Amino acid sequence: MQETIERLRAEALAAIGAAADEAALEAVRVSVLGRKGSLTGLLRGLKDLGDEARREAGAALNAAKDDLNAALTAREAQLGAGRPAASSGYDLTLPGRAPAPSGSLHPLQTVLEEICDIFHGMGFSRDDGPEVELDYYNFTALNFPDDHPARDIQDTFYINDKVLLRTQTSPVQVRMMERREPPLACVFPGRVYRNENADASHSSEFFQIEGLVVDRAVSMADLKDTVDTFVRNYFGASAPTRFRPHYFPFTEPSVEVDMQCILCGGKGCGTCKQGGWLEIMGAGMVHPNVFRAAGYPDDRYTGFAFGMGIDRIAMLKYGISDIRLLYENDLRFLNQFRGVQ
Amino acid sequence: MKISLDWLGDFVNWNDEPERLAERLTAAGLNVEGIEHVRHSFPGVVVARVLERGKHPDADRLSLCQVDDGSGAPVQVVCGAPNVRAGLTVLFARVGAQLPGDFQIKKSKIRGVESCGMICSATELELGADGAGIIELDTDVPSGTPADELYGYNDTVLEIEVTPNRPDWLSHVGVAREVAAIYGTKMSLPPTWNAVEGGENLGVKVRVENYADCGRYTAWGARQVKIGPSPRWMQNRLRAIGQRPINNVVDITNYVMFELGQPLHAFDRGQLAGNAITVRRASAGTSVRTLDGQEREVEAGTLLICDEKGPVALAGVMGLGNSEVTGNTTEVLLESAFFDPRLVRRASRRLGLLSESSYRFERGADWDMVERAAVRALHLLQEHAGAYVVRDWADRRDPDYRPAEPVKLRVWQVNRVLGVSVTVDQVAQILQRLGLKVQPMGNAEAIGPGAVNMMAHVPSHRRDLALEVDLIEEIARIHGLDQLGGRGGYRVAGGAVRRPADKARARLRGWLSACGYAEIVTSSFMEAADHDRLGLAAGDARRRTLAVVNPRHGGDTQLRTLMAPSALAVARRNLNAGVQVPVRFFQLNRVFRPGLAAGRPLRHADEALLPAELEYAQLVVAGWRETGLGGVPCDLLELRGAVEALASSLRLRLTLEPGGDESWLDAGACWRIRDGAGRQVGVAGRVTDSVLAAFDVDAPVALAEFRLDELDLEPAPVRFEPFTRFPAVKRDLSLLVPGSVPYGALHDAVTEAGGPLLESAELFDIYRGKGVADGHAAYGIRLKFRSAKGSLKGEAVDAAIARILGALKDRLGVVPRT
Repeated sequence: MQETIERLRAEALAAIGAAADEAALEAVRVSVLGRKGSLTGLLRGLKDLGDEARREAGAALNAAKDDLNAALTAREAQLGAGRPAASSGYDLTLPGRAPAPSGSLHPLQTVLEEICDIFHGMGFSRDDGPEVELDYYNFTALNFPDDHPARDIQDTFYINDKVLLRTQTSPVQVRMMERREPPLACVFPGRVYRNENADASHSSEFFQIEGLVVDRAVSMADLKDTVDTFVRNYFGASAPTRFRPHYFPFTEPSVEVDMQCILCGGKGCGTCKQGGWLEIMGAGMVHPNVFRAAGYPDDRYTGFAFGMGIDRIAMLKYGISDIRLLYENDLRFLNQFRGVQ
Repeated sequence: MKISLDWLGDFVNWNDEPERLAERLTAAGLNVEGIEHVRHSFPGVVVARVLERGKHPDADRLSLCQVDDGSGAPVQVVCGAPNVRAGLTVLFARVGAQLPGDFQIKKSKIRGVESCGMICSATELELGADGAGIIELDTDVPSGTPADELYGYNDTVLEIEVTPNRPDWLSHVGVAREVAAIYGTKMSLPPTWNAVEGGENLGVKVRVENYADCGRYTAWGARQVKIGPSPRWMQNRLRAIGQRPINNVVDITNYVMFELGQPLHAFDRGQLAGNAITVRRASAGTSVRTLDGQEREVEAGTLLICDEKGPVALAGVMGLGNSEVTGNTTEVLLESAFFDPRLVRRASRRLGLLSESSYRFERGADWDMVERAAVRALHLLQEHAGAYVVRDWADRRDPDYRPAEPVKLRVWQVNRVLGVSVTVDQVAQILQRLGLKVQPMGNAEAIGPGAVNMMAHVPSHRRDLALEVDLIEEIARIHGLDQLGGRGGYRVAGGAVRRPADKARARLRGWLSACGYAEIVTSSFMEAADHDRLGLAAGDARRRTLAVVNPRHGGDTQLRTLMAPSALAVARRNLNAGVQVPVRFFQLNRVFRPGLAAGRPLRHADEALLPAELEYAQLVVAGWRETGLGGVPCDLLELRGAVEALASSLRLRLTLEPGGDESWLDAGACWRIRDGAGRQVGVAGRVTDSVLAAFDVDAPVALAEFRLDELDLEPAPVRFEPFTRFPAVKRDLSLLVPGSVPYGALHDAVTEAGGPLLESAELFDIYRGKGVADGHAAYGIRLKFRSAKGSLKGEAVDAAIARILGALKDRLGVVPRT
């Protein structure tokens, strides 16, 4: 009996494997497992056997039946694959339809948000201030004396004697300090204005981000570390930075911060004008006169501030050679920033 | 500012390559922006003598000359200069000589006559401006001597960026001081100070009306002056730093200014009226002609130098033509003074006249240099203009002038601000290297908040050093900033929380960009004509703009009070560029409305002068001509859907109410946008054809804009409410709706009558045409009913439907379609 079952099983498996289409497979199934099938016949004959033999043969037959059913299912799936759904015949290579076409974010805004995110991660909060600003906040409170050549550093659009378009995001420093007591760690991004003619690297409107930290004992060393952390996080590499002493009326000591050129690694290229360094921000320690304008007692606090041009960083990052592209709002430009978040 | 290293070498030694010097100066804050190598060299040009001058056989204006160029045999050369003659000593370019401008001398035939070289003019060798004739040398050096021995000049010039706080760097001596401090060496001032000789009186009285305007005025006399070219070395140095030599007297005053930083002015004494010089303010406006030949209007209050007739110089800015040194000048009155920087700056700016002199005075001249510079110039006038110097000189100075107060320095504060640990000794050394006198105070070892470790006495050329922090900056510069840091950066305890408005903006931008809108950034300025183009009423408050009073050439002056013009400009640009329609874009930007700021807390009295800055979000769809549901343009349908959906993405409620009164929106195709409290926060709709035409846009533009700053961007936190798990019952209604009934009214009637069981009513079709009565449309509406209490029975739904149909019939005359 066992041999009969084994032979039947082997033959049926071979037949299943050989079935060329679903009809042939169905014929195999009927011939073995159908009502008059060979295996069904053997199952029916079990009742004529003795107890012992019936138990053994029954187990073997059921095992064979399971095997064959599994083989049938597998073969059926094999034969079915690659065939169009019987009911429709869709052409599934047609172009898809998105719920909405893809728009884009402006690269200036993207860079601005990225930079804010990095400083947010370092514990800086964010604030903003008016673009039409008092001369007082833009200059006087920032230690620009009246009738002083320091005011020539920035060509200013004036509305009248007291009101101007802010030339820098720095006035927000004073507004923030007037409102709050240290410790402070904030960034102030926003639009600024300079009264100059546009060319490939100048625009009369552009974007800056200002940073301010004030506490009991913040030092220039902290400034350096903060700048380095930012550069590492934003530009991804361990590009070295250097401080060059400079002059801004509202910070002292003042520095300009250079970053080793990320394009050539400091060897010198067109972007860094062969110098190997890129100027990325102005910075320094908050001048005591600015603390005084904000109403802080002398000597109680120290602080640092920095400011950088968003446009320049966006241009560096995306290889944009002409700043005017950022303000023309040509979709052939903007569409290239699809998917940039 | 340009610095000649040849010149700098007169005062200091640094033993370093120019590139390295530039690096070290830059690292100390004197930013070197460029290094230029100046080479005046004339290979192949030699001193020669004209032996013979004959006529060219074929040209009246040319001479045929024989020249002794030291080579032994006379050389034949054709010369066109009118002043060529036998016996002249000249500069001769031999065949093969290389002249400036890549010009090589070749043997040639000029009008059929062979010419073997060229006798040179000053312009051909770039030695001067005289191109009319050849140079006539007055020298006995032998023929054949290379011109380089007389005129060759090699120099390296640094282009430096001088920040406004460091006027002392606007001179070679000032930069020499810095070099000495950086390299730890000594520097010396120009060598000779013994100048004055004759015992006569100056013969000029000086009066200063107000010492606040002019702290010191000195006048000096130089007689028997012979005007001529300045010496070659002086011309070379002036040229190397970009100055044009003029004559010995003018060149000497310039030379001393670039050397010592003190501007000087030379008057032609013979042209000065009377014997008195007065320094006074102009009492009324007057017209003068300055040295540069320009007629200028001088305002009352401008500081003037006057003789007994009237102004002869604009103090610190420029001299006037009436007393200019000319070729006929024989006696010079030399002025060296100290003017109030603010007055000089005001005059220079009002006149639009920036001179090397005003540039220095407005930044602050060096009080102690007033006398030295004059004596240095007189010495040079003796040597190079044959001048006889009068010993007597006029000196008027502010009796109340005081040198700068010494500055207290705490080493504790140095370390606190810089984040370093320097010692008292290190600090003292650095300050001494910078030329400050250091007076130790207290216990040298004690470093603490209250411990003043030293008093620093500041020299007169460093009046920028007035506060402790000014000294700290000096210490940072010289100590070096390379070693700073490494402590991990400042971290704020507790971290930062994002402002709700920032989060909302980010979500809004993300949502809009994902929905196909491109973000734009537009100018804050608008064109003056935009108000008219938009057809704003004469009294519209938005016609009131702020304008800049000093716009750049050709730029717009008015700050925008509306967003629409920028949207139309961007639409036009992209439609004209053939970008695929519909063009979708958005912006988050500000408009500026004067006079609206009231109510804002004022910290500074003048803040009332500031405009309100209103922040708008604006969505624009341009160039979409298709229509959608019910024949409504697709752009309008999209904008309505977009505004509602983005409001819900911000967990806000914005509703669009048909109608509006913007002149630039089509009255039949616009909405008012209202917030959850019913306040109008914006508008939406299609721009009218006439406004499109005025902005030169030839496709439809629809836009929606609303005030972001007016919205509550910090919505209440979500509270979960249990939802019912019982199934909904759906019923579709097909309604015959008269054309006069807006869908909104229909929808309201349905939802009101539907009662609490009606979960939603959704329009899915509008049909007009065959089978529907004229002037009517068939609306397909899907109703969904659900109860929280259990499965709905058919009777309950039927009752609700009956109520709905009853209300529709009674209120709107809408009946089911049969």
